[in-house]
Amino acid sequence: MHGYLGRILRVDLGRGAISDEALNEDYARRYVGGSGLAARYLYDVLDAGTDPLGPDNPLLFMTGPLVGTSMTSAGRYSVCARSPLTRIWGEANSGGFFGPELRYAGYDGVWISGAARSPVWLSIVDGQAELHDAGDVWGSDIYAAQDRLRHSLGEAKARVACIGLAGERQVKLAGIANDHGRFAARTGLGAVMGSKNLKAIAVRGSGKVPLHAPDEFKALTNQALALLKGDTPSQSLREFGTAGYLNLAHMLSDLPLRYFQLGEYAPADALSGVDMAEHFLRRNTACHKCGIACGRETRAPAYNDDRVDGPEYETLGALGSLLMIFDLQAVIHASHLCNLYGMDVISLGGTLALACELFERGLLSAADTGGLEIRYGDSEMVFRLIELTARREGIGAVLAEGNAALAERAGVPELSATVNRLEVPMHDPRAYLGMAVTYALSPRGACHMQGDMYELDLGRDNGEDIGLVPGKRHENSFEKGRTAARLQAWRNLYNALTLCEFENPPPPLLAAALNAATGWTLAAQDLIPIGKRIVDVKRLLNMKLGLRRADDRLPGLLLKPLAEGGAAGQVPDMPTLLAGAYAEFGWDPDTGRPTAESAI
Amino acid sequence: MAVKFPSEAWIKELEVKLNASESYAQAAATWEGDQIFVILPDDNFKDSAYFYIDLQHGKASGARQLSSLDERKALFTSSAPFGTWRKVLEGRLDPLQAMFSNKIKLVGSMAAVQRTPKATYELTRVAASIDTDFGP
Repeated sequence: MHGYLGRILRVDLGRGAISDEALNEDYARRYVGGSGLAARYLYDVLDAGTDPLGPDNPLLFMTGPLVGTSMTSAGRYSVCARSPLTRIWGEANSGGFFGPELRYAGYDGVWISGAARSPVWLSIVDGQAELHDAGDVWGSDIYAAQDRLRHSLGEAKARVACIGLAGERQVKLAGIANDHGRFAARTGLGAVMGSKNLKAIAVRGSGKVPLHAPDEFKALTNQALALLKGDTPSQSLREFGTAGYLNLAHMLSDLPLRYFQLGEYAPADALSGVDMAEHFLRRNTACHKCGIACGRETRAPAYNDDRVDGPEYETLGALGSLLMIFDLQAVIHASHLCNLYGMDVISLGGTLALACELFERGLLSAADTGGLEIRYGDSEMVFRLIELTARREGIGAVLAEGNAALAERAGVPELSATVNRLEVPMHDPRAYLGMAVTYALSPRGACHMQGDMYELDLGRDNGEDIGLVPGKRHENSFEKGRTAARLQAWRNLYNALTLCEFENPPPPLLAAALNAATGWTLAAQDLIPIGKRIVDVKRLLNMKLGLRRADDRLPGLLLKPLAEGGAAGQVPDMPTLLAGAYAEFGWDPDTGRPTAESAI
Repeated sequence: MAVKFPSEAWIKELEVKLNASESYAQAAATWEGDQIFVILPDDNFKDSAYFYIDLQHGKASGARQLSSLDERKALFTSSAPFGTWRKVLEGRLDPLQAMFSNKIKLVGSMAAVQRTPKATYELTRVAASIDTDFGP
């Protein structure tokens, strides 16, 4: 079976049993890998009664057929389970080197079930897996945990995926870290890992990914890499990371300010990724076989932080502009605290911003917060709240449940800036109306990586073969809805492969590389239908878990026009946009249910 | 009367209009850097043309047409075929879309462009306001 190792590692933590299982080749052919393959597997296992933090909620670490090969940007892995934050499909993915190393160790994925009685960690070295007592690392931050487990294993180059204190305490905003400070951050899967008493997975391998046509594959991957030279977006990412987008985002009102209620505010430009690169950047970091190296390693001397992973654009928004904090060093420090404890900065920032808003409106008082005055612009307060949340102490126990739960607790669910209980990322759908579809239909709740319409409409134009052509960002139309749906299918394929979304080889080249890896015979035009099948299976699983057509919506906050800035007066026309998307996906317009019999 | 593009008269008209624009002065208040615009040949324009303009803190000076790229250097060089420039100047192609899709190739400091995107937008808006004759 070319392109795959052909094995899934099954670990039952309740019984302490470890076994190998053959990869379902039919599933692999139809759902490719990553979160696509995981969704198909879990469709048969999850139901509405599955407790996301109970032993019956499996946690899958999955890779795709290109991961660990020479293909540029193929270094990611997906983590999937029912989300404790959203109670629907949960998936998160991360770069670095963990995914490739898992493949070199002999596996396409790891299926964790049950829950250990006491903290454990799992080692996987060249096909040999073993559970170890984690008593001495339980409670440690993500950096210390990775260092200590590499030492314990005697493998200095082992790659470790682990949780921090937030995951251990089942904070629903907890993510899973790997390769220093990379994160599979979203949907609270760190809490699922914590509920299983699993601190970490350490992998080391010396194998190779079997390829169908190695020479042809190498030539194609060289071609993909060569395309990055002279590419303006790649150059920008290399120089400034994702943070380089900040000033432009501000100009277009794509950067949320003051909990999505302000379209422009001059001090926000102080969060510039250009300034960050000039004053606080230590070095770039890159994932496996990356031709860009967008990763940032920064410092914040004002807080004695010498080495911080990030921050990325999303962090500058979530822990900066959303909270009206415009001090780069303060945001870098807040980002570092989130990294140490292992929390998703987007969900945390969205939750803290709501707390500020509730406090401003008198819906949250010092009596509720243990005497804390939670105000916009107060970075010291943010540092304090990050700690309290990670520890579930005081008001932190409330914040640890996320934005939607906080809004409900305050009696104002309409103030929740979430879609299906996942906090909205730092791309305002009023700036790019196609993002309204991306968020409303994203299988995991509001997620910018499930269809990056802001990138497409900013000008990425190599997807003509598959109907992905840049358009006008303020277009409310049926066709815009269709395009957003196609892009969602495309990115779901990416999350199955599992590829980074920044390098974007042209679809015919990607199809050829996939064929050379697997021996398949796909044309570029075959790729979107596979992506749609993956969206469909996640949709059907979500409906099994309770999702309904009425849940395809944006929060009210994002349907109010901004008064100022580059998106002033704009609001997405949801009925029109969604009608286009349903038509593109082939979903029943009344029930929102996939009609394609081939989805499962 | 429409000004022919590309021509010495057109780039000088851009200089005049930029210096008269309050919104450009504000948007480009921190911009420092002279520019060369390269108009490359395509089906509708058989030659190459080169414009030079110095842009400092929201004001323009020294605008002229160059005979070649060897004539002088600039901090920024933006190159695109005639048809691409025409689409931008006619408002049919967003200038940043053009840049991020590599339709306009920029050589120079990305930092300046990314820190002050409004300067690019305003420059384009002012250029688009010139009554331009693109020829047959």
